[in-house]
Amino acid sequence: MGDIRQSLLPRDVLSAAKELLYHLDIYICNLLQSGRQPPQVDTKTLELVEEFILHAPKDRNTSARRMSALQELQLLEIMCSCFQEQSRDAVRQLMFNALFGLQGNQADESRMALLGKLVSMAIAVGRVPILECAATWLQRSHRVFCVRLAQVLVDDYCSMVPGSVSTLQNIHSASPRFCCQFITAVTTLYDLSSEELTPPTELLQMIVFWIQEDLRLILIAFLNTPLTGSQPISSLDVTPLGGLVRWCVKAPLAYRRDKKRTLPSGTGETGPDVGPLFSALHLSVLQVFMLLPNILNEKGLFGRLALLQMDSLATLASELSRLLDQADKQTHVSAADTQALSQLALDRLAQALQVAMANGALLCSREDLRAICSRLPHNNLLQLVLSGPVMYYNNIHTPPLAFSPHAAHSPIASHPAHTPLATHPSAHPQYASQPFMTGMAFPFRPSH
Amino acid sequence: MSAQKDCEFLVKRARDLVSEDPCAAKAWLITARTLYPADFTIQYEMYIIERNSERTASAGRLLYDMFINFPDQPIIWREISIITAALRSDCQDKHAQFLRALFETLPGHVQCEMLLKATEQCFNTLEKAEMLLLLLKRFPESVVQHGVSLGETLLEAEATENVETPVNCFRKLFVCDVLPLVLKNMDMRLPTSLIQKYLLKAAEFYIGYVTRGPSADVQIHGKAASRSQEGGSLKSPSVSRGSQRYVIDGLSEKSSVVPEPWERLLDILALAGARCEWQGDKGQRSYIDMLQRVKELFRYLPGLEGDTRSRCCSQIVICAALVLFRSAFLYVSAVQPALFQGVNGLNSGPWVLVEDLSSVYNDVEVERGAVKHAHKKRKLADGREKTMSSDDEEGLGKGRGRHILVNKTEMPTWSEIHEGFRTAKESWALLHSHDGLETEFKKICASWKTDSWLWFRIFLTDMIIYQGQYRKALSSLHQMASMQHPQPGQQSPSGQASLEQYRALIQQASCHYALGEYRMACDKLLDVVGGLVPPNQIPTKSSEDQGRFKPKARKGNELKLLPCTSKHVLPFCLQLMLACFKLRAFTDSRDDLSLGHVVVLLQYDWPQGEMLFLKAIEKICQQGSFQYENFFNYVTNIDMLEEFAYLRTPEGGRIQLELLPNQGMLIKNPSPALGVELNTLLLQGVQTMDRHHTVTRGITKGVKEDFRLAMERQVSRCGENLLSVLHRFCINEKVIIIQSLP
Repeated sequence: MGDIRQSLLPRDVLSAAKELLYHLDIYICNLLQSGRQPPQVDTKTLELVEEFILHAPKDRNTSARRMSALQELQLLEIMCSCFQEQSRDAVRQLMFNALFGLQGNQADESRMALLGKLVSMAIAVGRVPILECAATWLQRSHRVFCVRLAQVLVDDYCSMVPGSVSTLQNIHSASPRFCCQFITAVTTLYDLSSEELTPPTELLQMIVFWIQEDLRLILIAFLNTPLTGSQPISSLDVTPLGGLVRWCVKAPLAYRRDKKRTLPSGTGETGPDVGPLFSALHLSVLQVFMLLPNILNEKGLFGRLALLQMDSLATLASELSRLLDQADKQTHVSAADTQALSQLALDRLAQALQVAMANGALLCSREDLRAICSRLPHNNLLQLVLSGPVMYYNNIHTPPLAFSPHAAHSPIASHPAHTPLATHPSAHPQYASQPFMTGMAFPFRPSH
Repeated sequence: MSAQKDCEFLVKRARDLVSEDPCAAKAWLITARTLYPADFTIQYEMYIIERNSERTASAGRLLYDMFINFPDQPIIWREISIITAALRSDCQDKHAQFLRALFETLPGHVQCEMLLKATEQCFNTLEKAEMLLLLLKRFPESVVQHGVSLGETLLEAEATENVETPVNCFRKLFVCDVLPLVLKNMDMRLPTSLIQKYLLKAAEFYIGYVTRGPSADVQIHGKAASRSQEGGSLKSPSVSRGSQRYVIDGLSEKSSVVPEPWERLLDILALAGARCEWQGDKGQRSYIDMLQRVKELFRYLPGLEGDTRSRCCSQIVICAALVLFRSAFLYVSAVQPALFQGVNGLNSGPWVLVEDLSSVYNDVEVERGAVKHAHKKRKLADGREKTMSSDDEEGLGKGRGRHILVNKTEMPTWSEIHEGFRTAKESWALLHSHDGLETEFKKICASWKTDSWLWFRIFLTDMIIYQGQYRKALSSLHQMASMQHPQPGQQSPSGQASLEQYRALIQQASCHYALGEYRMACDKLLDVVGGLVPPNQIPTKSSEDQGRFKPKARKGNELKLLPCTSKHVLPFCLQLMLACFKLRAFTDSRDDLSLGHVVVLLQYDWPQGEMLFLKAIEKICQQGSFQYENFFNYVTNIDMLEEFAYLRTPEGGRIQLELLPNQGMLIKNPSPALGVELNTLLLQGVQTMDRHHTVTRGITKGVKEDFRLAMERQVSRCGENLLSVLHRFCINEKVIIIQSLP
């Protein structure tokens, strides 16, 4: 390796980088051929990448070589075609990881900067292999860095150049896996806690469009990932479901707050009404929950894997509670409006909880839900959900919840009867699990 | 505090939201459904939202769920009946198309089950049948179980509903839809008698359909009209039923159309024939082939016995009958297109088969000779042709090889039409060449009531005329007249309607003429002329008409297909009258009246009749005098006037002509009594010329003067429309004309 460095040093920055990429390609091919498990790029090579491609300062004495903007553009083009021409998926993945896998060192900053530019460019010119590698990167990397990449892309396509969002929108058919991870990242990024952390309308429209085109987009990453249980800690959620639920539940109150702020600021222009967008998005999320029983059953995971986490829902409930308190205090908006929006937020929370629980995305008892929702104000539907349905005589064998033409000959038998009340004692030991008694009088039952 | 209350609450929220935020409404219902999966109202509400926004896939999925989970809900059944109604209808509106697409999204077994259950819920026979038919078409394996019983139900319904015509909704469904399915299904064993019964039902339908009249009242307004309200959706409401449109009651306009009926009948025949193990190749290629095949088969008939024989008989009778009706239809649809709706009769009016009279101008001697020797000739012909002919043995024996003259420019497709006529005759002959066949054929005719088919009566009459059986033809024509009720809509747009009713009269006249019953002939004929409007122009005869058939004219042995228009009928009437008077006028005895009529009639088509005219002049010269008071009223031909003027001159022979009306009165005589006497004398004095001469000697001068003046005046009339003059002659002199004939 040492001799490679020697040969690279005299070259100009661009040709050195190019040479190294070429070398990397050969090296990884050999590595895979050797059959060593797991294939691991050695430290020396990673250092060469940092020095000649990322141009991170090797030590304090040597000042980093820098590329001009034009050279950097040329390098990105070379990288794009390098990934495009490499036909072997494994080689591409190892190479992408060698270049952009986070090392926890100073070079990570340069790495992130270059990655942002490369993915942005890949979106612009439709380089699917790079997007696929980026999707994998988004699954493995720490959520903080994922969010940073998402931020770069949103800035590039939603904020900087108006109208360029359509370029981003069009990639949903080229690389659905990337889109799915991108949605997870942006829902993590924008938690609606402040104006800055509210998704731009264009982004929202695009995501709604994507999901309406194909509901399964939300589950693509989950469907394509063998669940080994070795999901890196602090990576993004497996699906964007949690983030999307948060968006939909908080949106009525968050946007109301935004409106209040933007109106006096004098811009005058308020964007298109986002209400219908969130309404559609919320429906899509519920419909995705409806798809889950079949998928989970096929994977043998029904009742074993929670796609919605109780703790994040607890956080959502408390955030909502705080937002509702704030809304009550702010009296400049009419009380009736506030009341309606608050009820909408609570309706959506109740719907998400109920549908998620019934379809195995949320593994808990109604008792658990009552615990996390205890501080929320009165809402008829939420009370109904928390108390559960009144059981009546013929409700023992519930009909199938999902349509399955293939299993249609004996639909009732084809799905093992699962009541939405099924509890999973082992799943959440932190919540006291108490089976809900049917027909039990319950104080929360709505008074309708 | 009950599940029902909860559900009502959830559904109400969704309903309130659906117009302003349909997504939110659906979110509510999804939630509700997970809470109460067994509640029908929630799922129905979901379905309604999807159905109203016409989302095929999701509506179909929800309908399926409900069909499986709530099979006893009446609302579901109402929904399914709406969908199946859309399936049966040919309505093209967006919602109907959506409903059909919705049905298509369902799995096959659910479709099958739905149709069966929906059928069970139908109480109206037609609807039930249509529903079952949907099932049979989609699921061929169900034909074995339901095919024949459906067919029988339809035939029963037809009987119990008292429909008036075989072209009704039940029969249409049976023949066009059920029967092909049944016959094609080889898993079923059907008795031959049943197949033959069905085949005849099909034939009756197709023939009835093809020969349906143009009027709207062919529709059955019987009990079949009392269909349920839901059945009303079968008809597209936008359709206005104009007179040109044809709708079988109970069916929509589109499903009332039967394309290529003769071909489809042939298809059914092929299927049925194969299943009845008929002789001959399986695929019936054409009706003509079929006739040839059964004619061959006929030759083997005497050698057959038992089942084989009866099967063979059935095959011959059914096939020959179908060829007969089809060929006869081809002929009649050309001859009288206005009878039928499907036939485009705008270009061509009715035609009438009559004796050809183009030889009327021929020398009377030749003709008389021909008539005299006709009997002899006939005998000879019979002797020679006996072995060849089967259909012309009776009658006047003119049948075989008779020519039918047609102006081919006016009927360009004549050769095909003639072929149809010929084939029909041949089939008829085959059917009547054997007692067994005739009995079978008569059974079919009786069950189809062919006696009441006007169009077929027209063919039969023409066939009988062709065979020269004029007496029989006359009774057939009387029968026809009794069938010809004035039918609305029979008026053809060309305004020739009135002539259609004269068609039979013209034919009667022609028959009477052929039988030598001249008075009857002219009687009928003058009734016809009374209804004609003389055309403005004398038709210019085509060279074909004049030249083509003339050389081989076989005197009175030929027929002519005449267009039923004033333009053609009036000339024919004139020729026929001429033919009637010709023989009388030129007898050895004197008959000035007939001779005068002949002269008047010879004006038409002048100078075709010049030779006859000269013969008349010759006769007048021989007589030395001629009396015809109508002369100046109706003779305007300058050549004739000249000839008559010449006759009076010394060079012309000083023929005594008394051509002025009431010439006696014109004589300047103060005594009216004398005038009458003179007149009487004049009339009586035809033979005793000398006496007459002396009696009138004193006043001849005045007569001469009147004649000269009349002649001069007549010359100025030469430009008058000859046909108007002759038309007037027919109308005004009707009584005299008829009385002057035996």
